[in-house]
Formats: sequence, structure tokens, C-alpha cells
Amino acid sequence: MFKKFDESENISSTNQLKSSVQRQIRNKIIEQMPEIEPFLADIWPKKENAKIIKCHDHIEILSISEECQFFKQRDGPWFPTIKLLHKYPCILPKQQVDRGAIKFVLSGANIMCPGLTSKGAKLDEDCKLNQVIALYAEDKTHALAIGLMKMTPQDIIKVNKGIGIETVHYLNDGLWHLRAVR
Amino acid sequence: MSDGEASCEVADPQESVPSKETPAISYPVKVLYCPECSLPLEYCEFMPDAVQQRCRAWREKNQDLLSQEGVDIAALNLDDSDSANKKRQKRGGRGNVKAKQKKEPDVVKLARIPRGKRKFVTRVTGLATFDINLKKASKLFAQKFSCGSSVSGDDEIIIQGDVTDDLIDLILETWNEIDEDHIEDLGEVKR
Ligand SMILES: [Zn+2]
Repeated sequence: MFKKFDESENISSTNQLKSSVQRQIRNKIIEQMPEIEPFLADIWPKKENAKIIKCHDHIEILSISEECQFFKQRDGPWFPTIKLLHKYPCILPKQQVDRGAIKFVLSGANIMCPGLTSKGAKLDEDCKLNQVIALYAEDKTHALAIGLMKMTPQDIIKVNKGIGIETVHYLNDGLWHLRAVR
Repeated sequence: MSDGEASCEVADPQESVPSKETPAISYPVKVLYCPECSLPLEYCEFMPDAVQQRCRAWREKNQDLLSQEGVDIAALNLDDSDSANKKRQKRGGRGNVKAKQKKEPDVVKLARIPRGKRKFVTRVTGLATFDINLKKASKLFAQKFSCGSSVSGDDEIIIQGDVTDDLIDLILETWNEIDEDHIEDLGEVKR
């Protein structure tokens, strides 16, 4: 989503959010990531104003306290940014790829099934289709990407071919380097 | 925050993996990012060689800081012995991590742009390369020069009026990280 993202080209506008809209988004986020609820007051203090950064391809980035915290595309789910995920690793279910897959993920590739089933990988079988997940890697402590389950874990094991997880946002992509101060 | 901890374990049923972070986590978790490549230190090894060299240089210079933060440098395996290991990895597709585009050299440029016959505006670019908050800078300029000032682009501030000379002094006074060599006065330029 942010492979070729550039601050000067892909952003169309920045707007303050009305408080009613803020409340809606808050509720959406909690509904979608229940684990975030105890931390949301810290991440998004009640009085703190949120801004929405509208980008091309119907991407919207939610900036709170002058930092990019969440984003979404069209009517899709809200994703936390990796920086936020690093601070609160519990907010998303985890999947783990093997070491060999890391460099592909860091260049923006989607996760192929074998990268999730090989030795070194760990597949959380409780994940649902289209669930937002945090992507970890063998021997690494911190997440390297945010993804979307494109197959059920059961199918990933059974079929073991094709794209298992879509890489939505990864370390070193355009969003990672986006400064929210505007 | 016992809630949070509990959920962490639920999220990872195989429990063996993030055992490193399980003991008494306090939130937000502090992650050390490499100032050279911007990634968490443990991912430096996946950057292109040219970048890794800078990462390595930074680590050598900042060993004290790293050990203070309790980082085990050896565990980050950022040395050449690992490159043999990397070459063995064979998979389809292109797996080259692209380096972030190098920013322009850190120079603040001032330009005087004519506006009408005898009026000028002053354009400042390059402040962002010093990690300066442009909005605040613009406000400061407006205050000091009693004139209009606005952030007009990615890394550009336009100040109403010709204030180049005073501006150089103000910039030098305000931000210690910028010295005279970093400022370039382009003189009068056409828009
Ligand atoms: Zn680095």
C-alpha cells in the first residue's frame, strides 16, 4: 500500500476531525482491536485533537499528537502503524515468518505460504480470514510488518502455496518514513 | 495493567517465541531505532551494504549508549561473517531492500523572490533536513519580523518581505545545529 508512497506526491489534504467523527473512529478501533482498549486513553487522550491525512488511492491516515497512529483504505479496517505496534505489541494477533522471508517482506512482498509453514515460522491457527495481524520474524523481537490474512491458517497449512498474508505496511516503506507534522 | 499482559499470552499460544519480552512489560515498549537506517537495530542487517556500513559505524561510536540500554550488540549480527549466510538463502523474486532515498545535503537555502515591481518575499528551504518543525519556525519568523509567514510546501517557508539578512542571524541564533556554512543565500531568484 505504501511501497511507492511519497509525502510530496500522494497526500491530498489534512483535516481536523469533528469530535463526533473522532468518537466513531475510536469505537471502530476498539471494536476491531479489543486488546487496545486499556491503552487507547494513552495513545489517544480525550482532549488530543486528531487529524486525518487524506492520500491518494483512498488511503486515510489518522494522526494523533503529530504522529501517524492508524490508517485505513476505503471502507477497510483500521490498521495501527508499525511505530504504534512497537509500543503496544499486544494489540494484534501475531504471525511469524522464517528468517529467509525477512528481506522479501522488507521490500514489500506479500507473504507466501511456505514462509509461514517452514521451520522458523510460527502460524497462529486461531486467526480468521481477513484479520489484521502483526508480522514477526524468526529470532527477532519486534514486528516488521502489518498484514491481512488472505487465507485461513488451515488453508495455509493444507495448500501451502500462494499468498497467505497480504503485506499492508512494512518497515522502511513510505508510511514508515512519513512525518506527521503538518 | 494485568489485562495487557494476559492478552499478550493469549495472542501467542506457542508461548516460546516472545519470551524475551514477557517478563513484566511496561507500556509503551521502548524500541531503539537505528538513526542511520531508521529501523529497529535488529533489522539493520537487512539493509543494503552501503547503509549497513553507516549503521555499523554508528554502533561503534555509540557502544556506551547501547550497553546502557541493555542491547547485546553481538546478538544483532551485523558483521561480514553473516554475508556468507545471506548468500545461501535462495528464493524466487527480488529480495533487495531499497535504501531510503538519501535526503538532500543539509543546507538551508534562502532566496529573495520578487513580487510585483518593488516588493519581495523570502523563501527558506532545507530547514526540515535539520528536523525542525516548520510550523513552529514559520510562526517564529512571523513574530520576529512582524510579517506574514507560511509553510508552503514539503520543506519550504515563505516570508512576506525581504528579510534575508535578519533571517540569517535569527536562524543562527535559534538553532545551534545550523551554523553559517549550512546557510546558502541564493540572492534574487525568479519564481
Ligand atoms: Zn541501521
